Amino acid sequence: MKVLDIKDVYKIYNESEIQVNAINGVTLDFQEAEFAAIVGPSGSGKTTLLNLIGGLDNPTSGEIIIDGTNLATLKSSELIDFRMRNIGFVFQAYNLIPVLTAKENVEFIMSLQKWSRQERDARTYELLKAVGLGDRVNSRPSRLSGGQQQRVAVARALASRPKFVLADEPTANLDSRSAATLLEIMEKLNHEEKITFIFSTHDARVVKMAHRVITLEDGKVVSDDKKE
Amino acid sequence: MRSLVVITSVTIGIFAGVFSVALMNGMIAQRVNDALNEEISDIQITGKKFRINNDPQLVINNPSRVLSAIRSVPVIGGIVKRTTITGMANTALKSTGVQIIGINTEEEKKIFTLFKKIIPGSGDYFEKDSKFNLSLIGEDLAKDLGIIRYIIDSSTINNLREKRLPVPVVNKLNTLTGERFLNEKQFVKKMNSVFSAREAKKYGRIIKKEAWTFRQGTRMTLTFLDKDNNQVGAMFRIAGLYDVSNSIFEKSTVFVKSTDLNHLIGLTDSSFHEIVVKINNLDQTESITNMLAEKLPDLEVLSWKKLQPDLAMMTDMVQQFYLIFGIIILAALAFGIVNTMLMVVLERTRELGMLTAIGMNKKKVFSMIMLESVFLSLIGGIIGMIISYLVIRLTEHTGINLSQYAEGFEALGYSANIFPQITAGFFGIVTILIIITGILSSVYPAMKALKLNPVEAIRNE
Repeated sequence: MKVLDIKDVYKIYNESEIQVNAINGVTLDFQEAEFAAIVGPSGSGKTTLLNLIGGLDNPTSGEIIIDGTNLATLKSSELIDFRMRNIGFVFQAYNLIPVLTAKENVEFIMSLQKWSRQERDARTYELLKAVGLGDRVNSRPSRLSGGQQQRVAVARALASRPKFVLADEPTANLDSRSAATLLEIMEKLNHEEKITFIFSTHDARVVKMAHRVITLEDGKVVSDDKKE
Repeated sequence: MRSLVVITSVTIGIFAGVFSVALMNGMIAQRVNDALNEEISDIQITGKKFRINNDPQLVINNPSRVLSAIRSVPVIGGIVKRTTITGMANTALKSTGVQIIGINTEEEKKIFTLFKKIIPGSGDYFEKDSKFNLSLIGEDLAKDLGIIRYIIDSSTINNLREKRLPVPVVNKLNTLTGERFLNEKQFVKKMNSVFSAREAKKYGRIIKKEAWTFRQGTRMTLTFLDKDNNQVGAMFRIAGLYDVSNSIFEKSTVFVKSTDLNHLIGLTDSSFHEIVVKINNLDQTESITNMLAEKLPDLEVLSWKKLQPDLAMMTDMVQQFYLIFGIIILAALAFGIVNTMLMVVLERTRELGMLTAIGMNKKKVFSMIMLESVFLSLIGGIIGMIISYLVIRLTEHTGINLSQYAEGFEALGYSANIFPQITAGFFGIVTILIIITGILSSVYPAMKALKLNPVEAIRNE
C-alpha cells in the first residue's frame, strides 16, 4: 500500500535573487513498511527533501501526498495536527526535552493526542523495552549516552504509530557500535510495527542495511535501487 | 539559574512593594488615629459662624437641648464640651500665636488620649490642685517659647557614661561642662562644632535628650480677647508638657481648664463653644454627621474629614496611590520577565522547533511560554508575599524606629516609629496583579516563539 507519493516536486530558494534549486523535479513513492535511505553528497537536497516530506517546509511546485492527503491543501494548524498523527521524526541531534525523563519524552506526543494514561504507559514501556532502554525509563537525557538518547528519539517517533518515520542523519553523532545497535533496533521495529522508515544519510552502514537506496545529486534523483 | 534570577527579582520587587505599602498604611493609620484620638476626634459641633470669626460670644445656646439631641443618636461613644479661643502665648524670650482650649479633664479622658502623652518628669495632666491658672503645652511650643533649656553638667555626663557612650564622645562633651543653652538651635550648633558629623548623627539625639531640662511650674502669659472684646492677659503656670507626633499641633495648641478660661473670658462655667463627639464606628462618621446636622440646623456639624481635609484626601487617595505604585513596580518586573522569557525562547529554539515539528500546535506553544512566565512570577510573588507577611508580623508591634528622622516626620504630623500594617485582601489583589503581569509579559516572547520556523530551529546549532 502506497503511504507517500511525491510528484514532480521543486524547491527553489532565494527566488527573487540568485536561484538555488535545492530540489529539482523529484518524483518518488513509498510503500508501507519500506526501509529506505536517501543518500548523496552534502548539498544534494537530502535534508530539504525530508523537510518537504515532513511538511516542515513547502515545495515551490509539485505535490506531496501522504496516505491520500495532499499537504498543500492543509492549513497551517491542520498541517501541524496532520504531522502529529502521521509522521514521526528522528533528528540528528536527538532533540529530546532535557527536563523530561525518557518515559516522559516518549509519551509526550501521546499526551498531545490525548491518549489515556493506561494506553500511554503501555505503549511507552513497550517501545522503551523494544529499543533496549526498559531499565532507563526514568533517566533524563543528560544521564543517557548519545546512542541511548537517539534510541529514545526513535521510540518517541514511533509512539503514536505514524504512517512513516523520517530520520535525518540519525547515526551522524554516534560511534559505530551505537550506530549498529540503533540500526538493528530500527530495522526490527520497521518489521514489527510495519512503519515506513526514510533516512537521509552519509553512513555506509545505514546504506548497507537499507532495503531501498535513493541517490540524490543537485536535487535530482539519479538512482533508486531496491534490494530484493 | 535563569528561573532563579526571575524568581529572586520578583520576590524582591513584591517584598519591596508590599512592605512599602504596609509602611505607608501604618503611617497613615497612625496619623489618622493620632488626629482622632489626640487632636480633633470624629465630629465637632460649633455655632454657625464660630469657625470663621472665633468670636468668644458665640457659645452654644440652649446646651441641654443640643446635648440631648446628640445623645439620642446611636453609636455615640462620648461627648466633651470645650471653650476655644485664639490668643498669644508669651514668655520673657518669645511670643507666639496659639489656640487656647478650655477643657474638663475628666470628660476629655473619655475621648482623647492626650493625658497619656505627658512627658515623664515634666508634670501631669492637671492632676494637682493649684491656686494658679494651669496650662498644658506641647514640647515644641515650650522649645519655641524658650522654656526648655539644655544644660551640660556633671550629672548629664555621668548619665551618658552610664548609657555607654564611647569615651572619646564623653571626653569631648566634658569640655562643655557647665554650659547652658537657651534653645535647641544654639545647643545643636554647639554639638555640631564639637562632634564630627557621624558622632552628631549617631549620639546627638541621646545627648540632647539627656541635656534637656524643664522646670516644673514655669510661667507664661496668655493674652486674648474676652467676650466684650477687651484684651485680657493672665499668667499661667505650666502643669506639664505633652509630646504628640504632630509638631504643628504641639506648637499651636495650649490646654487650660475650662473654668479658668471661662472666668477670664467672662463666660459662665457652663458655657462652651464647641462640642466634640466620638462615635463607636468610624465607618458611620458621615451618616451620623448628617443625622446630627439635620437635628441641629442652627449649628455647624463637621466630621473629621471636613475638619482636616488634607487627612481625608490622603486616606481617600491612598488606594489610587497604591495602584500607581503597584503598576510601576509590576511594570519594572514585567520588563525583567519579558527579557528572561525572550532568553528562554532563544535558548530553547531547537526544543521549540522540535515541539512544533512533532505536532505541538501554536496554541499549546503559546500557553507553554505563558504558563512558565506566570508560574515563575507567581512563585517569586508568593515568596515575596510570605517574606513581607513575616516581616510585617515581626514589626507590627515593635514598630520600625526611624527616630533619626523624627523631626522631619513630626513636622508632617507623623510618628517616627512606624507600625507597618496590611490587610489580607491586599495580598489577594497583589496575587491577581502578579498573574496579570506574568500573562502580559509572556505575550511578546510567546509571539516570538510562534514565529520560529521549525526547519530553521532544528538546524540551529
